[in-house]
Amino acid sequence: MKSQYFGTKEENTWCPGCPNFGILQAFKNALADLVNEKKIKAKNIVIASGIGCHAKIFDYLNVNGFYGLHGRVLPLCFGMKVSNPELTVIGFGGDGDTYAEGISHFVHNCRYNADITMLVHNNKVFALTTGQATPTSEKGFVGRSTPLGVKDKPLNPIASAIVNGATFVARGSALNTNHLKELIREAIKHKGFSFIDILQPCLTFNNFSPYLQKHIYKLDKNHKVTDFRQAFRKSMEWDYSFKEKDKIPIGIFYKIKKPTFGEQWPQLKKSWYKVKRKINFKKTVEEFK
Amino acid sequence: MEKTILIGGKAGQGTAVTSHFIGKVFCALGYYVFNYRDYPSLIRGGHNFNVLRISDKPVYSHKDKYDIILAFDQKTINLHQKNLKREGFILGDKTLKTKRLQKIDIQPILSKLKAPKIIENDILIGWLFKYFGVDKNFLLKEAEKVFKGKKTGLIKKAIEKGYSLAPKKERLKRVGSKKYFISGSQGIGIGALNSGIDIYIAYPMTPATPVLHFLAGKQLKDNILVLQLENEISVINSALGASFAGAKTMVGTSGGGFALMTEAMSLASISELPLVVYLAQRTGPATGVPTYTAQSDLKFAVNAGHGEFPRIVVAPGDSQEAILRTQEAFYLSLKYRTLAIIIGDKHVAESDYSFDTLKVSPLTNQKFILKNPPKNYKSYKITKNGVSPRAVPGQEPVIRATSYGHNEYGNTIEDAKWTIKMNDKRFKKVRYLEKEISKLNPVSIYGKGKNLIIAWGSTKGAILDSLPELKSFRFLQVSYISPFPKKVIENEIKKSKRVVLVENNATGLLGDIIAEKTGFIIKEKILKYDARPFVSDYIINKVKKKK
Ligand SMILES: Cc1ncc(C[n+]2csc(CCOP(=O)(O)OP(=O)(O)O)c2C)c(N)n1
Repeated sequence: MKSQYFGTKEENTWCPGCPNFGILQAFKNALADLVNEKKIKAKNIVIASGIGCHAKIFDYLNVNGFYGLHGRVLPLCFGMKVSNPELTVIGFGGDGDTYAEGISHFVHNCRYNADITMLVHNNKVFALTTGQATPTSEKGFVGRSTPLGVKDKPLNPIASAIVNGATFVARGSALNTNHLKELIREAIKHKGFSFIDILQPCLTFNNFSPYLQKHIYKLDKNHKVTDFRQAFRKSMEWDYSFKEKDKIPIGIFYKIKKPTFGEQWPQLKKSWYKVKRKINFKKTVEEFK
Repeated sequence: MEKTILIGGKAGQGTAVTSHFIGKVFCALGYYVFNYRDYPSLIRGGHNFNVLRISDKPVYSHKDKYDIILAFDQKTINLHQKNLKREGFILGDKTLKTKRLQKIDIQPILSKLKAPKIIENDILIGWLFKYFGVDKNFLLKEAEKVFKGKKTGLIKKAIEKGYSLAPKKERLKRVGSKKYFISGSQGIGIGALNSGIDIYIAYPMTPATPVLHFLAGKQLKDNILVLQLENEISVINSALGASFAGAKTMVGTSGGGFALMTEAMSLASISELPLVVYLAQRTGPATGVPTYTAQSDLKFAVNAGHGEFPRIVVAPGDSQEAILRTQEAFYLSLKYRTLAIIIGDKHVAESDYSFDTLKVSPLTNQKFILKNPPKNYKSYKITKNGVSPRAVPGQEPVIRATSYGHNEYGNTIEDAKWTIKMNDKRFKKVRYLEKEISKLNPVSIYGKGKNLIIAWGSTKGAILDSLPELKSFRFLQVSYISPFPKKVIENEIKKSKRVVLVENNATGLLGDIIAEKTGFIIKEKILKYDARPFVSDYIINKVKKKK
């Protein structure tokens, strides 16, 4: 199977040169690899997306999918997974989507550790609504709704995910598609809640491409992904502000084994739509007599 | 034979359990029982009470004049003594202050039994049933069944002790077959189980929570999944994810939670995913009077969500109807891929009703999922009745659901032609739904009078119980609010002399809907918005007075 299989003929309306194209390609490549390696079945792949530029990926992917509401990607993913454990569930969110509107779902899904993968296109801006600040916009960011500049520090999603119990936490870059593809593969293969914050400069409203390219580096092999303290320390290395001296690590920060949500519920063995029920009304109402 | 017993005390003293048990024993003797629960929003202290109405004829509501008051504290007496009938009495510990007390010296009995304070209830229960002349062994056997394993030995001893202290004043015999005794919440739960529910998701909110508790307790035995998630927004979005992936799914909440869910109700509509939402009304607005009843969310349920879209709204009036209507909600929602809302309230949810038999809906319990969807499957195929055959992810073709304007494949569109086509497709279903619903008794008519009382939901009980006193009245109960059974209602109104609307709200919401749909404005309204349900005497008085 080639990665083209996962493409569609829908007209792509992302801005020319948008790094979202890189994410789309990395994702299709990762899926093709995983299907070819028989790690997953194409028919069982299902994606969910929020609302924003990132979410248009729904139309460009030839897989099962649910184009949901702004901020609600994770509940959709969670619901699909508990409904059918055979599905390979992957969510696409924006930083506005996931860290503003959907932050409660993000925190709790880290805790639940259901076997789903969440990919966040983090352009540190609301793009589709034409350039307002999000929770990961840096202090001082001047957007169309914040002409006086953002006054608060950005949220650090990597640190949040680690602290809240995600069992696979990584950062990728939409500009490094090969590396990103590897991360996505690992994330999908991981049993549990996998999260990748993908830095995705928005060429129109927040082009931090040059900064990113200058400051980025790959986590090296000495980084021990199972060590919570080390992972957390690494997550604090970059606080999502554009400072002169900072370095931005990409790669897997944290990866541990923990029972998944599904593994802990005796009922969650079978796809519910395949369950055959014998219902005995007399018996169900016996207790009320 | 008819008796009304009030059982009152502080929260935590076991008024609800006591009342339920007494009701259960009478049901076992073949009596009809209605049990009303009244409690404020606190865990310990305050004042809780239950009103049990027992009769050898069917009863569907409680009364506010009591034959007996079972008092666990002084406050019960202070608050309710004025409603004690002339020949009535109060039963309780000797330290209580009232002239009408049948005293029991409880403390020495508890000491002798080495029993905690709560066992007092069982002493009073024993006393009461001796008074009624009910066989002791029969009583003890029922106690064993109801209090399975929970200090049963001690409870039985206390009952026996109380029994030994009472005079035998009456000789209540078995009057018929055992009755079912079931609350509205249990009715909703049973209806869901009988619909083949797979997943129930909720966030706790009174008075919907009993359904969450009931189903959670069944999940292993009945192989269902019951989840409590981080908030109502997550609840309904997760439910839609689950429904998309093929599970029969229901969520439950009350007004505040329903408010949070409304955005996703729009999503349910455009994505055409089946979903059953149970809305248990309480007194609002906002937090309002949270453990009390109201019928003030009707128009909210009918209009919830942005954009225009059809939905099913069904309002059960008691626990038997809760079973049937829940089954219908599942069936219709799945068959038509349309949102179904079951609108109940605290009064139906937390009252116990008795029935000779419990009926189940004959609607077949299908999944409405294609066995083998074709390769060229279209998630939103336009069909004659607007319903696209449903497939779920994991079956070969690509399956799509979306919140966006879309074509038949579920791909995003923004053009005028497809926007209209898909809107028309969703509304096409209404005609077919209307036809189907017309066979499900969307309205029920009781009595034969030339005048008409119109109501919906929980007021059913008190109105049924007032009909014998209002011979010139028929009662029209509206059970389907959407699609609205306009024709029948119009006809009934037209052929009536006097038309009276009875609602547990301040403005007459069903009246508004009737006006909107039929053009008929009902001027005569009996409205109650004190957070308390109707009793039949109140309705009788109001109807007679207005004349
Ligand atoms: C509840 C709700 N609020 C607001 C919007 C409007 N809205 C559409 S896209 C968007 C922002 C998207 O930003 P982000 O998630 O960062 O994605 P991006 O466009 O940057 O990819 C917003 C706020 C909406 N659709 N729903």
